[in-house]
Parts: sequence; C-alpha cells; structure tokens
Amino acid sequence: MNRRLYIKSVFGLAVAGAASFSIFKWVSMNRAIVPADLIHKKEMLAELAELIIPQTDTPGAKAAGVQDYIIAVMLNCTPAKEQNKFIDGIAELEDYTADQYGKEFLKCSLAERKAVLKHMAKNSSGYSYKILNKINNKLFGKPFFLKLRELTVEGYCQSRLGATQGLAYDYIPHTFDACIPLLKNQKSWATK
Amino acid sequence: MYISDKNKQLNTYDAIVIGSGISGGWAAMELCKKGLKTLLLERGRDVKHVVDYPTAMLNPWDFKAGLNNTIKDRETDPVQSTAYSPADKHFYVSDAEHPYVQEKPFNWYRGYQVGGRSLTWGRQCYRLSDLDFEANHKDGFGVDWPIRYKDLEQWYSYAESFIGVSGNRENLPQLPDGEFLTPMELNCIEKHLGDSIRKHDEHRLLTIARVANLTRGWDHRGPCQNRNLCNRGCPFGGYFSSNSSTIPAAMATGNLTLRPFSIVTELLFDEHKQKAKGVRVIDTLSNEVHEFYAKIVFVNASTIATAGLLLNSVSSRFPDGFGNGSGQLGHNLMDHHSSAGAYGVHEAYTDQYYKGRRPCGFLIPRYRNLQDDKSLNFKRGYNIQGHGERQEWMDKAQSIDGFGEDFKAQLTTPGPWTIWMAGWGECLPYFDNKVSLDNFQKDKWGQPLLKIDFAFRENEHNMMTDIQQTSAEMFEKAGFKNIDTFNYNKPGGSTIHEMGTARMGHDPKTSVLNKFNQMHEAKNVFITDGSCMTSSACQNPSLTYMALTARASQFAYEQLKKGEL
Repeated sequence: MNRRLYIKSVFGLAVAGAASFSIFKWVSMNRAIVPADLIHKKEMLAELAELIIPQTDTPGAKAAGVQDYIIAVMLNCTPAKEQNKFIDGIAELEDYTADQYGKEFLKCSLAERKAVLKHMAKNSSGYSYKILNKINNKLFGKPFFLKLRELTVEGYCQSRLGATQGLAYDYIPHTFDACIPLLKNQKSWATK
Repeated sequence: MYISDKNKQLNTYDAIVIGSGISGGWAAMELCKKGLKTLLLERGRDVKHVVDYPTAMLNPWDFKAGLNNTIKDRETDPVQSTAYSPADKHFYVSDAEHPYVQEKPFNWYRGYQVGGRSLTWGRQCYRLSDLDFEANHKDGFGVDWPIRYKDLEQWYSYAESFIGVSGNRENLPQLPDGEFLTPMELNCIEKHLGDSIRKHDEHRLLTIARVANLTRGWDHRGPCQNRNLCNRGCPFGGYFSSNSSTIPAAMATGNLTLRPFSIVTELLFDEHKQKAKGVRVIDTLSNEVHEFYAKIVFVNASTIATAGLLLNSVSSRFPDGFGNGSGQLGHNLMDHHSSAGAYGVHEAYTDQYYKGRRPCGFLIPRYRNLQDDKSLNFKRGYNIQGHGERQEWMDKAQSIDGFGEDFKAQLTTPGPWTIWMAGWGECLPYFDNKVSLDNFQKDKWGQPLLKIDFAFRENEHNMMTDIQQTSAEMFEKAGFKNIDTFNYNKPGGSTIHEMGTARMGHDPKTSVLNKFNQMHEAKNVFITDGSCMTSSACQNPSLTYMALTARASQFAYEQLKKGEL
C-alpha cells in the first residue's frame, strides 16, 4: 500500500468532513514506539545518512557517528507521532527495496541504495502549497526523507568531525572581524 | 512563632534585599558599599561565578541529542522549555515545581537562583528619554512619571560606568548616548542596510546594539571572547551579571550576608511605627519559617513575583496587600512585544565573510511618533533589532534539494547574506492587565499561586502591522530580495520585559511608589525592579532598573542617616 497516498486521501477527507478520520489510525499513530525497533536499524541509518552526507575530502555522516545522534533524538526528543512516522518510513523503504531488488537494503549496491533514497525523497515532496505542507507535517509529522535528512544535517554539523572538518569551527574566537574577504574553498562556520 | 531577643538580634540587619537578579544585585552592592549590614535573600540555589557554569565550555558534540529538549522536558516545563535548551536549562525553573495560572496565555520565564535572569538576559542597554518620561502625561495613558530624564541621567552614567557597556554615540534626542566602551562592529550587509536607511530617511538610522558585553577588560572582567554563548554563564566575565559583578563587589565589603534557598512569603508590617519591620521566609531546604528584621527593605523579586509578595502581605492596615491603598498593586502589567518583523536576502557581497560570533545585533532606534503623528493608528513607538549574517547550514538545510555530494558541498559553504529584524514595541499600561493571587490553588510551600491576566490590545497590534510594513520598506529600498514579513503572535511575557505592577507616581491615590521608588505608605520599603515602571517605553529596560536602584539606594541611605526611616 502506498502509505503516502493513503495519508493524503485521509487528510483530504479530514478537511472535507472531520468525522471521516479513523480513531484507530489516530491511536496507532500516537502509540509509543519500541526503542529496539529503531536501535536495530542503526547500521541502516548509518548507510542512509552517509548517502545524504557522503565522505568526500572531508568525513561523511557515518564516520561522524550521525546514526547515534538520529537514534538519540528520535527516542528522547521526538513526539510519538513523529517517531511512528519515522519507523513507518523505514518500513516503507524496506518494502520498496524488497519489491524493486528482491533483497535487503544493506545488501544493495551503492547505486541501488541511491535509487531507493531518491524514491523516498520524491515521495516526500509533499504538496505544492506551503500551508498544506505545514498542516500535513503538523498532523502527521515530517515526511520520512525530510526528517531523516534534517537529523542527518543536525547530527553531522554538530559532531566533532563534521564541525571541525566538514565545517569551520572556532572554539574561542577572541576577536570579531566583521568583514573579511572570503577565502578560497571557505567552509561555513559550524556555530553562530 | 517565638523568637528570643538573642535570636532576634542575630536575625537583624540594617537592610534586607529580596531577590538577587539584576536590580537586587545592584541594591545589595550599593547598600553594602555604604556600610550597611545587608541580607540578600534568594529563593533559589547559589550560583557562583565560573564554577557553577557547567556547560560554558562544552562543544556542540558534547550534547548527545544536540540542543533539542527532551519530550519529558517539554511536558514538565511547557513554558520554560520554549526558552531553554540543554545548554542553559539549569538557569530556568521547572514549571511543574513552580506553577502559575494563565488567565490568558502568558509566558512567565524565570530563573530562581543567585543572579536570577541576569545570567540569561539579552544584555541590551538603552536609556529612556524625555519622550518616554513625558508620554503618559502628554497622551493621557497611565499616570505621569514622577521623574524626568535629568533625574536619572547621572545614574545612567553611574550604572554604565560600572557594568561596562559597548556602543556607539549617535546624538539622538529619543535615545540618549551613554558612557560607552568601543562599540562592536557592524558587518557588510548591516552597513549596507544602514547606508540605505540614512540615504532614504533622515529620521532613521541603523547603529550597533549597545550591550553589556565588554570590548575590553573592565573591572577585572572580560573582554568578551565573541563566543556568543552568554546564556550559559561566561567564565571570562565578558558580560555583566550579578554573579560576575555586583554580588562579588557586595561580598568584598564584608557587609553582605547571602542567603539562598529562602522564599520570602511576606513583608511584616509594624502597626506602631507604620513601617515594614522585616520579612518572613521559608527555608526551602528545611521548610523552617524564619523572620528577619531590618531598617529598610528593598523588594527586587522581579515584577510579577514582587506583586505577588506584596499582595500576599496582608495586615489590618493593608487588607488588600502591602502598600496597596491605591488599589493599583498588581495592575498595569506590561511587556514589550517583539513578534513582528521581516526577513530578507541580498545578492551582493558574496566575497565577504566574518570571523567570530558577535554577541549582539544592530538597532534602529525609534522613528515613529517622535512628534505625535496623527496619520498613524497607534500611540508611542518601537525600535527595530536585528542581525545580518550569511546563511549557514541550519538555514540552508531547508532550502537545498536532494542529497549526496552536491548537497553536502552546498550545505557546508556560506550562503547568501540575509537580515532578520523585528520591532521591540511599547505596551501601554492597561489597568486590566494584572497579577493577582489564586485563593484556592497553593504551591508546595502552601503559598497561593499567582494568576496572570494579560493581553496585547489594539494599539500594540496596530503597531505590529506598522513594524512589518516599515521593515519591508527598508529592505526593499536597500535592494533585498525574497522579503518575508512575519508576526509570530507570541503571547505576553515572551519578550521577558514584565513591568509596571507597583508603579511610580506623584499621587498615592493612583500609584504605589514615589519618585525615589519609596513606597508611599511604608517609607522604609523600596521597590526598584520592573514593577516600578510607570510606562514601558520601547527600550530594553534593565539598565533603567539599575540606574533607578542606585538612585534609590543613595536616597534610602541618606534618609536613614537623617533618621527619617
């Protein structure tokens, strides 16, 4: 089943006549997740994060330990609704991978993994109206790909490797230089 | 409660100061320096400069889940968690432990500890001018201020010279200059906007914020290291706080007794002398009740708590609250609004960048109603505060598509220059905006909960619309693109500038305090926190509290010496 479409249709109905929204679905979205469900996906999350921020001349997300950050934020700092959305997203990704390639995500080639993530990204583009996206995200949580990418970015840019090598980190700046020429290949500051 | 004479002697001081935040720290220092044995009471724990700043030197990766609050934090502290993060949570109260009643949504942010909110304040320091002190008198909202700028001018200088304020002199009548250290510097996009504003409107200008961040070493503190981590407490003493400055100075005199874990529940009234005789305190560690006595009492618990304390201090003389003959106590609550503004992107200066993290932004001083402008649909005015920067990863992550090497390359390099700015606006003193006591609900020490009933009105809302319009105009004229005006519509309290619940005034029938912050009806009680404000002006108020406190301390000391108190 295409969950995204299902949710969109449910959302449409909810707007048209609030009564059509299933209470069962609501309860199920708000159930607390089992931490192990997420912790078991650590290796997969590491590979997914690495696809988003790969190793180049600077470290990638996997080396920076972003998978641990994703799990920590998901388990401790994320409302149940969004946790479920995220777990469901992983399941959807796994189903899609199995359908397309007949194997597990971790057994896929790099090209196949990229294609899978691209599919997930396409699936999360949302509505063309900003306001509908906002309502949609609020009711049902951020689409899986966007949430995954957001956490990957946060986790990477605030990790030791990400901040000090992927970006430019200035622990104690001492001075403030308001206007200086941008250096060649200048990295962004890690903190503001 | 039975108190022997000996115990009474032990519990007797020349002066008692309630609250150790920005104004309480000042009161304690001034009184101690004048030689008065002073008891400083603080309801929270002690926070010692440097040693009690546990997160001050941490790196971003030392926070395992970043700066995200946990689900539990958000449930336990629905209000405070919208202000704190794991980096400074320890300087905020727990809402669950310290509940209050919101008759309408009101964010009451608090830090119960030695130093109070002086550890987490925004550090902007602006003088009020006669435009502000005369406003109530001229347009009839609220009562007249019993002082004018000339009464406070030397005390502003005195406060600035002690705390160290960096800023630029601009020679504006509506925003008087002060005693400034070298200003912080504007970056190229801020200068660009400033140049455009100067070209288009002779009444507007853009200047660097005036902040209590030190651009050079000052009074054994600083300079600021440009880390922009001020709200974790600064181990370099780079900004003014009670903890880094006034309390150590008070301690150095040998006259200070600091007593943390002490909730003052009541001011005690001496019917015979018609004065305050002291305070009743609950020790939060032992739950024991103590009484302390003094010749003078300074109340600096912060606006809302000060109102609550006075309302809770009833006697046959004051059945409706201590010094509340006017019926004004708890009323006229104000907070600035800072919800409305604009954001814009500029395509130029792509070859320019910056180094270091300046702990402040820029200021566009008030430009509305400098003369009463009949074409505007609101009274009073606002200033604009904002900052310019290049888009960094946290901004760009939302706008770049896809993933992979190209995504990473864009994410980790500086984006276009942007400016975010918003109006800090005056809130009129409305009688109906108020603090009162809940007669039924008590906190864990058996004290009545405070009820806050506050709303912005038409004048404030009209002003917000004007802020959006004028901000967008200034951006347009300066060539900004993708201009987005916003109004977050945040509830009262969100700017953390509560004031006005025990206002100053000429007339005891309509005000609680006289022109020296002295209570009309109990001459040895002084209130110099935000409660005393007669109008809110639009400037960040802390500097005014410090100046008023220093002035009232001097007056109290002189009166005491003359035997008048």
